Amino acid sequence: MTETALRSAPKLETAARARRRPKAQRVRSRPARIVLDVLQRTWLIVVVFAVWWIATAESTNVFIPSLESILVSLFRDLSNGVIASGAAYSLGNLAAGLLIAVAVGIIGGLILGETKRLREIVDPVIHFFRSIPQAALVPLIIGAFGIGQGPKIYTIAFACMWPVLLNTIDGVLGVEPTIRKFSKVYRIPRGLHFRKVVLPAALPQIVAGVRVALPIGITVMVVSELFAANKGLGFYILNSSATFMVPETWAGALLVGVIGYILSLLFIVLERRILSWYFKSGAK
Amino acid sequence: MAIQAAPEQVQVATKPLLHVQGLTMSYGAGDSENKILNDLNLEVNDGEFVSIVGPSGVGKTTLLRCLSGLVQPRSGTVSVGGEIINGPHRDLAVVFQDYSRSLLPWMTTLENVAFPLQGRGVGKKERNETAEKNLAAVGLAGQGHKYPWEMSGGMQQRVAIARALAYNAKVLLMDEPFASVDAQTRFDLEDLVIDLQSSLGVTIILVTHDIDEALYLADKVIVLAEKPATVVDVIETGFGDHRDQVDTKADPRFVEARARILHRLRDH
Repeated sequence: MTETALRSAPKLETAARARRRPKAQRVRSRPARIVLDVLQRTWLIVVVFAVWWIATAESTNVFIPSLESILVSLFRDLSNGVIASGAAYSLGNLAAGLLIAVAVGIIGGLILGETKRLREIVDPVIHFFRSIPQAALVPLIIGAFGIGQGPKIYTIAFACMWPVLLNTIDGVLGVEPTIRKFSKVYRIPRGLHFRKVVLPAALPQIVAGVRVALPIGITVMVVSELFAANKGLGFYILNSSATFMVPETWAGALLVGVIGYILSLLFIVLERRILSWYFKSGAK
Repeated sequence: MAIQAAPEQVQVATKPLLHVQGLTMSYGAGDSENKILNDLNLEVNDGEFVSIVGPSGVGKTTLLRCLSGLVQPRSGTVSVGGEIINGPHRDLAVVFQDYSRSLLPWMTTLENVAFPLQGRGVGKKERNETAEKNLAAVGLAGQGHKYPWEMSGGMQQRVAIARALAYNAKVLLMDEPFASVDAQTRFDLEDLVIDLQSSLGVTIILVTHDIDEALYLADKVIVLAEKPATVVDVIETGFGDHRDQVDTKADPRFVEARARILHRLRDH
């Protein structure tokens, strides 16, 4: 009897808390909350830009142009299509590279995660390659595979693959043992076991790996266009800096940062969608 | 269930559905060998409800792992319907102790119940119908769209039972299935399992450390004790199909059997 009472006590407490919580939230109206939320997320950016604007307004240093001139160049080149075509090329490479990295990383990770023997053999190689600064490999890969679009995509794919691969392996190793026993006892065929048991179980980790791969991909995307390129955001940055168009160089770098930020926001939306069970179940 | 006055003769007439012969299991080898089960023999007839009871750590879980084909015994055999098993078997379904970990949180309740049927190649329409039917059988009609984590512990364990029933195995193995729910839910689940067993005629082997539960549920209680574990007693309960949480547990036969099991466990 006392055992029952003890066991149900924490349940009662959480139930009471759950009932109280919505009341506390209802104090502020929804629109007010959204405004506050947006303010909280944006005030720092506004302050940084304001300080930047004021501090560089009178700048005479060639390498530190005023923010005004940077933004003027940025909007000029955005509107006349110089950047747009470059950005489209770069982002196309990034998308293709990421896609390859995710496909190879997940498939490789599932196989390596499930086969201990293979994992032990390949492990040192994985850690060797992932420790190499990926940007340093760009000239080698372009030198070896040529100057076209393909090698740029491969370098992005190569760099982005490691976090996806390693996280997938971790995710597979972390699959709940009871779930594995269930799959075995109920004789779930191998293919179905991979697709419907191991993959979803490892998905939160895999998605975390892709999130890490995203900024790596953006960096390598830019670096890959610093070698043997005639278009792309990296080329825009390199070319403007080589011709002393410093505001354009800054504008290019700024744009890459903004793109990175937007992509990470889009990624969060995607993550919430494909892992809705994970967030809702409170497993996180 | 069947009249067990002369067990030897009954065995000749009807072969047991599940037969364990000389089962020995140990982990490790050489000097560090840890023997868990020693020359264990069991017989479970078709439609019978058998409880296996014993103190914690006696090797009940190891026995269940052998029965479900998850591990191979060192020696001895487990056979179902006359066929010696050497791995997970079509005629054996398991209800795990930890319902919250054995259900897949990324699938709805209906998908969870239907999933093992998909593995067997049953078409979508048919497996969903079967899943719906079995969810209804455990008192969860129309709840298939919910996710397991939207349900209470007792309901989750009902889903796990529905999943095992939908698999339509001849033998249901239950590993301390009610150990992690509160007392009232536990009584409800016990009665549910008794009802299901008598209405569906499925054979159930339930492992528990709770002597009352073992006696209340089963037609036959097998008592495990000693290290390594072996069968120290077999008790036919003889309560029939109708049982009541209060009356059955106050039945003199119940009280007597409980005393007998406690003595057996104390003596070993």
